[in-house]
Amino acid sequence: MGNNGWTRRRFIQAGLLTTGAAALGVGVTRPTGLWAATPKIKGPIKVGYQAIMSGTLAGYGEFHKMGVTLAMEEINAGGGIAGNKLEVEFRDSTLKAPEAIQNARYFVDSWGADFLGGVDSSGQALALAPVMAELDRILIVTHAATEKLTEEQVFKNGIKQIFRICTPTYQDGNAAAFVAKDLPAATWATISPKYEYGYTCWDMFKNTLTKLKPGVSFTAESWAPFGTTDFRSHINTILDAKPEGLYSTEWAGELITMVRQAGQAGLFKSIKHVMFPVGAAMDVLEGLGADMPDNVWISGRYFFLYPNNSTNNDWVQRFRKRWNHYPAYVSETGYSAMFALKKAVEAAGSKETKAVIQALEGMTMDSPAGQRVFRKEDHQAMYDVPWGLTVASDKYPFKIMGKQILVPAKECFNRPPFEGEGTRPPF
Amino acid sequence: MNLESLVHVCLAGLSTGMFIWLVASGLTLIFGVLGVLNFAHGSFYMLGAYCAFTALKLMGGNFWLGLLVGPLVVCAVGFVIERFFLRHVYGLELPYQLLLTFAFVLLFDNLVKIIWGAGSIGSPSVPGLSGSVNILGRFFPVYNLFIIVVGPLVALGLWALIEKTWYGRIIRAASTEREMAAAIGVRVPALFTGVFVFGTWLGAVGGALAVPYIGLLTPGMGEAIIIEAFVVAVIGGLGSLKGAFLGALVIGLLSSFGTRFLPAFDMFLTFILMAAVLLWRPQGFFGKAV
Repeated sequence: MGNNGWTRRRFIQAGLLTTGAAALGVGVTRPTGLWAATPKIKGPIKVGYQAIMSGTLAGYGEFHKMGVTLAMEEINAGGGIAGNKLEVEFRDSTLKAPEAIQNARYFVDSWGADFLGGVDSSGQALALAPVMAELDRILIVTHAATEKLTEEQVFKNGIKQIFRICTPTYQDGNAAAFVAKDLPAATWATISPKYEYGYTCWDMFKNTLTKLKPGVSFTAESWAPFGTTDFRSHINTILDAKPEGLYSTEWAGELITMVRQAGQAGLFKSIKHVMFPVGAAMDVLEGLGADMPDNVWISGRYFFLYPNNSTNNDWVQRFRKRWNHYPAYVSETGYSAMFALKKAVEAAGSKETKAVIQALEGMTMDSPAGQRVFRKEDHQAMYDVPWGLTVASDKYPFKIMGKQILVPAKECFNRPPFEGEGTRPPF
Repeated sequence: MNLESLVHVCLAGLSTGMFIWLVASGLTLIFGVLGVLNFAHGSFYMLGAYCAFTALKLMGGNFWLGLLVGPLVVCAVGFVIERFFLRHVYGLELPYQLLLTFAFVLLFDNLVKIIWGAGSIGSPSVPGLSGSVNILGRFFPVYNLFIIVVGPLVALGLWALIEKTWYGRIIRAASTEREMAAAIGVRVPALFTGVFVFGTWLGAVGGALAVPYIGLLTPGMGEAIIIEAFVVAVIGGLGSLKGAFLGALVIGLLSSFGTRFLPAFDMFLTFILMAAVLLWRPQGFFGKAV
């Protein structure tokens, strides 16, 4: 703001608003100190949120919605964002890129969204990046995981409007390799999704594991198209290759189906070391129940029993009270995305895109998943999620993580400038 | 490439094919007799799965009771759709039928979300059929062997019904010469309702039977299978049950062998076959010449 940014009229307006708010009393509007100091923000703060709400993955959309809605209720009960009410509108992303772009345009052009959130598919996120630059609105990605979004679109192409609050494929590929290097398995194979996410994770896993443990080999890969309900042929490919380890980024219902069918085929008896980077998702754990084998390595973007501290445990309790469910990881990332926006808007004293981008860059926030820091260069949130071995528990009707290994984000996340020496783990 | 592997790839293909056949049979029957391309058939599959699941829960967890009762509930839905909606578009062009039945797809997807929730539901196992048998050193689910047996039995039953019974003769008569059949006293509208409800039942049974193998119920589960069923119906010759059975076998084996031996093309193979059939034999394996 320049020297003459404050006209006399605006100054008087601000003063009147402050006085007015004070006159209404604390109980009515609960203005924060910042509210009075930021007359530029004209509420409400509107967030357009898109996630998959139809088809076989509709359950993910529900869990996004639960987390975001809980955040909205808590934020508004606590006085809103810098005194302004938070409003969220949800739309079905359908997992198709054109639909995601259409939603984004609707949110900004027709509904008047200040910020956008959500997005499940990597393909959608990549397609949205240039659109967000054009619309000049911040998008906080809460599920799509491809590292290309932050490395290429944000860092290389300079699309500063994109932030990601969930762990990217580094957790699925790099961190998995750190766990795999200590397992007595020298040959690995995969059944993974036949699209961007599946390919990029397997590549990363192979590259990092080869560096950590030279001599390891990768003997078979079978790529299952989206919507596969019959994994029998893929399982045959793996059983023919007889690897010592199986790595699979299948997720949601397809992971449930694959684990059931692999169990029937006796796969877990012949392959001792199995890794599911997104196996710690609640829908998978609850859906499989006792059918999830013991001693399988699982991880995710968040697991409700980690970290074991009061912030997280209280949140899980509040979530259960509100929805009668354990929070899925997309519930946590959706919830935390709203609080990230609250913190950034209040720090910036503005909801203008440029100011909020500056506030978000390098911002540290406490969240149920632990402390997050938005890395300045690529806008990726740095936080730690453990890998763990499945084990049965008396307290839950599903398998949980028993023995855990934590590969810290700063050890397993690729580093800017993402090319050349010292940008990929191990460091 | 050893025998164990080959046998298991074959078995996988056979069971995949028979799952598709169970769904395609109803679709084909309805098209063959009524001339309606029923997009909502995938919804009947989904509803069959969900209703069987709920029936099973309500009746003490007996899978077979669920399989008996669930699809009957879906038949009632099929009856309402034919009697009050489809009947009015028989005379119209194909796009109207597609639009109407597609509207039901959207309707039922949302209905399922409202009644049963948007999340997936884990399926119960089937008593007596839940284990696996060792075939040449590799395990194969007993349930899939059961499906490999059920598929041909359904085909045989349908063949006997259409070719050997009095009802079958009337159905054939009404499907080839609607006016003439009506003129000699066949109540064609009632017959069509009956055939549609029977086709609905076949789709619903397919859904109920698919659940224990897929391992879960999800809204929208009918969308993937209906496309495969359509492909099968087209390459078999629209309206030909014999063609659909053979088509399902071919598609099942093609996808199993394709995934195992030509993984880069597994998604293409089915559609290449369909394109080839449409180009060189547009009436399909056993369809009437066009």
